[in-house]
Amino acid sequence: MAAIKLNNIIKNFDKTEVVKGIDLDIKDGEFVVLVGPSGCGKSTILRMIAGLEQATAGEIVIGERVVNDIEPQNRNIAMVFQNYALYPHKSVKENIVFALRRLKVDQDEIERRLKEISEMLQLDALLDRKPADLSGGQRQRVAMGRAIIREADVFLFDEPLSNLDSKLRSHMRTEIGKIHNKFGRTSVYVTHDQVEAMTLADKVVVLHGGHIAQVGTPMEIYLNPVNIFVAQFIGSPSMNIVEGTLFNDHLEIDGYKLPRNKLTNVAYQSNIEGTGMLVKVGIRPDFFNDKAHFPASEETFDFKNIKIDLIEPMGFDKEVLFTLSGQPVKARLDLRSEIKIGQNIDLLVDLSQVLIFDRETEQRL
Amino acid sequence: MLGKKTIKGRIGFLLAILLLVSFSLLPFAQILSTSLKHQYDWGNPSLIPQTINFDAYKELLGLTEAKQVEIPAAIQKILNNPKLPQDKKEAIAAKYTANDNLFPFGKYMLNSVIFSVGAATFSLVFSVMGAYSISRLRFKGQVVIQRSVLFVYMVGGVLLMVPLYQMAMNIGLASSLWGSALCIFLIYIVQTLPVGMYMLGNYFRGIPFALEEAAMMDGCSRQEAIIKVVLPLSLPMLATVFIYCFIIGWNEYLFASVFLKQYPEFHTLPLALQELFVSKNAIWDRIMAASMLTLAPIVICFLFASRFMKGGKTDGGVKG
Repeated sequence: MAAIKLNNIIKNFDKTEVVKGIDLDIKDGEFVVLVGPSGCGKSTILRMIAGLEQATAGEIVIGERVVNDIEPQNRNIAMVFQNYALYPHKSVKENIVFALRRLKVDQDEIERRLKEISEMLQLDALLDRKPADLSGGQRQRVAMGRAIIREADVFLFDEPLSNLDSKLRSHMRTEIGKIHNKFGRTSVYVTHDQVEAMTLADKVVVLHGGHIAQVGTPMEIYLNPVNIFVAQFIGSPSMNIVEGTLFNDHLEIDGYKLPRNKLTNVAYQSNIEGTGMLVKVGIRPDFFNDKAHFPASEETFDFKNIKIDLIEPMGFDKEVLFTLSGQPVKARLDLRSEIKIGQNIDLLVDLSQVLIFDRETEQRL
Repeated sequence: MLGKKTIKGRIGFLLAILLLVSFSLLPFAQILSTSLKHQYDWGNPSLIPQTINFDAYKELLGLTEAKQVEIPAAIQKILNNPKLPQDKKEAIAAKYTANDNLFPFGKYMLNSVIFSVGAATFSLVFSVMGAYSISRLRFKGQVVIQRSVLFVYMVGGVLLMVPLYQMAMNIGLASSLWGSALCIFLIYIVQTLPVGMYMLGNYFRGIPFALEEAAMMDGCSRQEAIIKVVLPLSLPMLATVFIYCFIIGWNEYLFASVFLKQYPEFHTLPLALQELFVSKNAIWDRIMAASMLTLAPIVICFLFASRFMKGGKTDGGVKG
């Protein structure tokens, strides 16, 4: 068991700067998810913690030790690779117990741990097979087993589910969550899938272009994104961003005037001129509601006569598209709303969930 | 339909294969056939001997009974002279009683095995190290080394023979028995190393690096990861490289003829065969039997190694 601390970590590949100064504290037993688009440096950070890459500058501390110059094999870390990386010439059993055999762990102890793990991961029937004879999901479970059996201080996951189909992915996601709850090891999980980030994490780290964009619990990141990048990256469908003008007493979007005093999530702006301040407004599709099925209150604003351009039924939900300030906007309504394309409806918005971003810097106001 | 088989097509295919196979196998059939024929049968163009004759093989393998050679009476008289020192007597007696193997096949074979297996083993070890470093490590001059390795291979042996011998002479290696043997050893290693490195390097590149990383996360050092993961996965190619090096050494004549000519006790099979061809003992069945016996280890070696050459070992390890 160990906490991890990254102090101003920088990584350059030749002249390309990939990680540009990361500070991060991971508590003992915490499940941290690094999430971000391709090329944001998330895998590189994970590999530096593992020791598979050398940090160009900065300090990596695991437990009490600075591990920058400690070889990966001596860091007591277990890792699950994106492509599984099972030893093709060894049976499932030998793959799982490889590390224990190397450490010359007692045979009885090996058998005991193997039994426990193969039962947990339902690998009993597969122990004598070779990796080539397994399906993708089975291989993934073997890779998990190989990591868990070591009882290492830290677990690292490098996009472990990205090669699975969506059904298996959600199943394995649940399994990983269960395993973490059972063992409670410090875990760092890299993914570009924001659903995995939201569901698994104690703490989400959103990375953007080699920097940390935001650190927080999944709900903090979802409800209080610090900038448009985070707002749009987390949440599906992603947050709508439309142009608006902020006045002292109201926020105007495409002619709709939202009362300023109810926008509790908008920071107070002191000197707004009479002509207003051009801003970008973010509203999550989930915070729109059909007025016909939702009680209006003081905390809601009524977008009257919205013309629906497109409807995408998803089962329980349907996503409807319309236009505000010339921008396409999506709203997620439930199945009670019986609307047709071209029809006009009234949509309620929860005012406390309307966010405003600076037009230039795209940071939250 | 694509891939549909017609009778005509099948017969044509079979015929073509038969033609190709017989073309490459006929010389070997000829060797085998002649080695088994009696002298009167040599002119017979048929590949099947009228009667099978194993004498040549027996002779070469030393299975025939040694003929007792009588020392001539005149010589016996000299030997009986008590004034003659004992060592001189023995030397003279040996000259006349010597029933030297006409062709000490076993000895030549042992020489060949030592040179070719020894060189192939060293070559394989160096190939593994060289191939791993050019395929996995990043260092200055890596690309230059990688390319120049094959360039070395392109320079023919004939061009190097004289300068190499001169160098060996200058440092005094070629003037001693063991020095010459060492030279041959080094030359065989250097000759086979480039191709060994090239073949293994390409093979190593095909093994996902993630497997080594996984081994390192499992507590292995890099060397352990190579030994426990990379090498077991490379068995087919290791076997191929070993066979390749072995065969080069086994069949090598040019350098052996330069460096080992004056040391008959170190003659290898190709060298000995060539001498047999031009000696008074050159009889067809014996030559062919010797050729056949020279060929045999290669065939055996190949059959043995082909067990390791099953491909597809890396399947299933990684995905994507």
